Amino acid sequence: MLILSELENDALIEIFNIGVGQAAAAMSAIVNEAVLMSVPSISFVDRREAARLLDDKDPDAERICGVSQHYEGAFSTKAILMFPEDKSLEIVRLMVGEAVPLEELTEMEQEAMCEIGNIILNSCVGTLANIFQHELHGSLPQYHVGTSDEILRASGSAPDTVVLMLHIDFLLERHQIQGYVAFVLDLSALHDLQHQIGRYIARAMGQD
Amino acid sequence: MTSPKTILIVDDSRVSRMMARNYISQLHADWRIEEADSGEAALLMVASVSPDLILMDVNMPGMGGMAAAEQLRHSWPAIPISLLTANVQTATRERATSLGLGFVEKPITPARIASLLDTLAGA
Repeated sequence: MLILSELENDALIEIFNIGVGQAAAAMSAIVNEAVLMSVPSISFVDRREAARLLDDKDPDAERICGVSQHYEGAFSTKAILMFPEDKSLEIVRLMVGEAVPLEELTEMEQEAMCEIGNIILNSCVGTLANIFQHELHGSLPQYHVGTSDEILRASGSAPDTVVLMLHIDFLLERHQIQGYVAFVLDLSALHDLQHQIGRYIARAMGQD
Repeated sequence: MTSPKTILIVDDSRVSRMMARNYISQLHADWRIEEADSGEAALLMVASVSPDLILMDVNMPGMGGMAAAEQLRHSWPAIPISLLTANVQTATRERATSLGLGFVEKPITPARIASLLDTLAGA
């Protein structure tokens, strides 16, 4: 398991805080209402533990929908945006407005969720890339439905893969919809991330 | 009074195309709007459509929006192209600027589309 110093951990939270702020702004523009987001807390856990943490957050949501994108560059990661499955149509409705009939809306639900995931994840990851001053290339978004563990498994991670678990609660105030973001990184990617954090700290201290 | 324009929306997301179309129509009901779901389709369509503006998504299957925009810029240098993307990275913006492309951040909003079309409407 990767051990971060206190300063590195602090920098990591600050960087993701900025990224998540951008994601919140993007989400707010999509749904046209205020989006509250918690300060991200970060933990390094294996996939099973990550799934358990997600289940604990919303024990009533048996199935969740997730949109994932793989990024390569400064470090490799799979970013996953997750919402309770029963809220996904409501989110799409907020995005497209009342003009679209329900039947058509249901038909385009998966595609619309991919687009929402693409916008939110890119807002966050793009901001990280800017902070690290190193480009991150993203794949096309993929849509998954299942339990937390199935979503994380679909991201290609083995049960013992380390997951950088970002605990971020999105809350759409008027609609009481909560979402979560997770970043999956393997050991080599974690070391790359640690290297980028080190460079960021050095720049912040005027040493780079 | 300005003459009606033709806009080509290039995006693999049907929802994004639909939203862009709605916002443009609300502002300029008489403008013609054409759609392509890939960069390849846009390259094939542009001669027959003769757009006054191309809105181009970046992250698409196939050749992708940046490569398509580059080819269009080369073959049709007079047509303004604006990238329509969730990619907020500085590197992407710099590449767009170096190719003479505009840049509109997703999510698409009425205000962002209005701001983009203002210049065109005055032409």
